[in-house]
Amino acid sequence: MTGQHAPIHLRDVTLAYGDHRVLDGLSLSIAAGSVTALLGGNGAGKSTTLSVLLGFARAEGGEVAVCGIDPAADPDGVRRRIAYLPENVALYEHLTAVENADYLLALSGQPQDRAAITEALTAAGLQERAWDQRLGGFSKGMRQKVAIAVALLREVPVLLLDEPTSGLDPRATADFNALLAQVRTRGTAVLMVTHDLLSAADVADRIGFLDGGRLTDEVVANGPDRFDLRALHARFQVGDDRRAA
Amino acid sequence: MNLLRHELRLLARQRLTVFALALLTCLTVAALAAGMAEVARQRAAIAAIPAAQAEDIGAVAAWIDAKKDAGSAAYYSFHPTWDAPAPLAFAALGMRDVSPYILRIRALGLEAQIWDGDTFNPELALPGRFDFAFVLVFLAPLFVIALFHDLRSGEREAGRGRMLDALPGALALWRRRTGLRLALLFAALALPFTVAAVVEGVAWGTILAVLLVVMAYLLFWIAVAALIGRLRWSSVANAASLAATWLVLVLIVPTLANVAVNAALPVNQGAEIAMAQREAVNRAWDIPREETMRRFYARHPEWADSAPLGPAFHYKWYLAFHQNGDESVAGRVRTYRAGLEQRDAAGRALGWVLPSVGVQALLTRLARTDFAAQLAYQDRIRAFHRRLRTFYYAYLFRDRPFAKADFARAPRFGDVPNG
Repeated sequence: MTGQHAPIHLRDVTLAYGDHRVLDGLSLSIAAGSVTALLGGNGAGKSTTLSVLLGFARAEGGEVAVCGIDPAADPDGVRRRIAYLPENVALYEHLTAVENADYLLALSGQPQDRAAITEALTAAGLQERAWDQRLGGFSKGMRQKVAIAVALLREVPVLLLDEPTSGLDPRATADFNALLAQVRTRGTAVLMVTHDLLSAADVADRIGFLDGGRLTDEVVANGPDRFDLRALHARFQVGDDRRAA
Repeated sequence: MNLLRHELRLLARQRLTVFALALLTCLTVAALAAGMAEVARQRAAIAAIPAAQAEDIGAVAAWIDAKKDAGSAAYYSFHPTWDAPAPLAFAALGMRDVSPYILRIRALGLEAQIWDGDTFNPELALPGRFDFAFVLVFLAPLFVIALFHDLRSGEREAGRGRMLDALPGALALWRRRTGLRLALLFAALALPFTVAAVVEGVAWGTILAVLLVVMAYLLFWIAVAALIGRLRWSSVANAASLAATWLVLVLIVPTLANVAVNAALPVNQGAEIAMAQREAVNRAWDIPREETMRRFYARHPEWADSAPLGPAFHYKWYLAFHQNGDESVAGRVRTYRAGLEQRDAAGRALGWVLPSVGVQALLTRLARTDFAAQLAYQDRIRAFHRRLRTFYYAYLFRDRPFAKADFARAPRFGDVPNG
C-alpha cells in the first residue's frame, strides 16, 4: 500500500506556530506492515508530525490521512485506528499490569477478557509474575510492554511511537525492537520518531531524515545488512551541522 | 457501566480521594446530627412550656385570687410564646441561634420585651452554626477543589495526558470522570441528608428542592474548577487559584458585601428601641396621671368610659403609660423593621450573584429559619400581645375582679394563627 491509500499519508503538509514554520512541505507515506523511523534533532518537527496525525494539531496546508481519514475532520475516527506510545509511557501506578491493560482497552472501546490480556502481555514479553503487580515499581521497558500489549489487542492498523528507546538499557532496547518486528508482521504501519540512529537502523524498513519540518533525505533498508551505518551516521551528521549552522 | 466500574476502581485506589469523600461524609453526618440535636433541644424546651407555665401561674394564682386584682395578674403573670422549628430546621439553623425561639411576655410594654434579646453576635452571624448548610456552603467547595483541581492537569503531570487524549472518545472520558466525582460528592452530601430529612418528617417536595440546591451548588464549583483547568496551569497552581476563589466568593466578598449593605442601610439596634421605650415608661412616673390617661384614651377611646382614677395607685394607669411608651417608639420600630427588611432584601439580591449567599438564603427559606421567619414570629408575638392586653384591660378598665379561674380564660399563644 503506497501513496494516498497507505495507512499513514502526508503530502506537502505545512504548519507554523506564529512566525515559526514547524512543518514545511512534509510528505511521507507509510505502508501497512512497515516500520518507518523519522530521525531529526530538537525542533525538526518530529513530535509535531505525530500531533498532526493524532489530530492534536491542524495542518495549515497539504494533505493528511490516517487510513484515509483526515485527523482534523474526524479525530475520533483516526484515534480508533491508532495506538500511540509517548516517550515516557506513564500508566496508572496504582493499578496492576492487567488492570492497566483492561482499563485502557475499555477506554478504547475494545474491552478484552483476562485471558486475552495475559496472552498479549506474554506476547509483549512481560513475565507472568509481573502481570498482577502494580506498576509503581515497573521500569520504562516493562511499562512499554504493557502499552504494546494494549496496542496488539486493539489490532490497530497504525502504531505511532515517540522516542520509544530513549532511556532503555541495551537489553530492553533489543526486546523492544523484537517486539516491533512482531507488530510489523501483523500488518501494522509503524511510525517511530527518534534520536536513536542505531535503534532505528535495527528495526526500521525506512529511515527519513527530518530537518526544518521537511524530509531532507530518505534511506530504505536493503540486503542482509539493511543499512550502511556509516553512511547513515554521515547523513545524520550533515543534518546536525546544518542545524548548527 | 463497565467503564464506570473501571473509573470507580481507579478512584478507590487513590487514597486522598477516598479520604476526602469519607471526610465529607463524616462532616455531613456530624453536621446533620448536630442540627438534629439542636432542633430536638429546642423542641424539648418548647414541649416543656405548658408544665412550666402551669407552675408559674400556680405560684401566683392563690395570692392573686385572694386580692382579685387584675393589675397584679397582668403584672406578675408571664405568657409564653414560641417559634416551633420547621421540619427542615435541623439542616439550616439560620437565625434560630441568634434570635430567641421562646419569649415569655407580660401585658406590659412590649417593645422593651421584644427587643430585649436583640443583640448582634458577629461570630455566630457570619458563618453560622455547624449545620448542613454550613457544610454545603463553606466546606463542600473545598472538597470539589480537592477532587477536581488536578482532573486533567494531574494526568498531564503524570505523563498520561497525551496518551489519554490519543484514545478514541477522550472527551467522554473527562465527562465520565467529572460525572463520577460529582455523583460521589453529591452522594456524600445527599444520602445522609435524605436519611435525616426522612427521619425528621420533611416533605418530599422540600427534600427534592434541597437536593436540587446541593446539585446546583456543586455544579457551580465544578464549573469554576473546569474554567481554571482550561488555563492548563499546574495542579498546584490550579489548587491555589481555586482556594483563592473559594476564599473570595465564600468569605471575603459576602463579608464585605454585608459591611457595605450595613453601611448603606444604617439601622439602630433593637436594644436602643427597648432603651427608648423604658425611658419613656420611666418618665411617665413624673408626668401627671391625668395627662397620661388623656393621651391613652385619645388613642384607645374604647376604654375612655372607664371610671376616673382615684388617689391610690391603679394598674390601669401603669399599663396605660406602658402602652404610651410602646406607642412613643412605634415610628422607630417601623423604621428599624423597614431597615432590616431592606438589608434582608439586599442580602437576598446578593444571592443572585454570589452562589454561597444564594444557597444559604434558599436553605434558610426552605427551613423557615431566615429573617422572614423571625419577623413572622415577631408578628405573631405582637398579635398575641394585643390579645393579652385586651384581655387584661377588660378587667382593669371595667374594674372587674380577677379570680384564679380567670387565668384559664387568658389567651394562649397557640391560638394565634400563623402568618
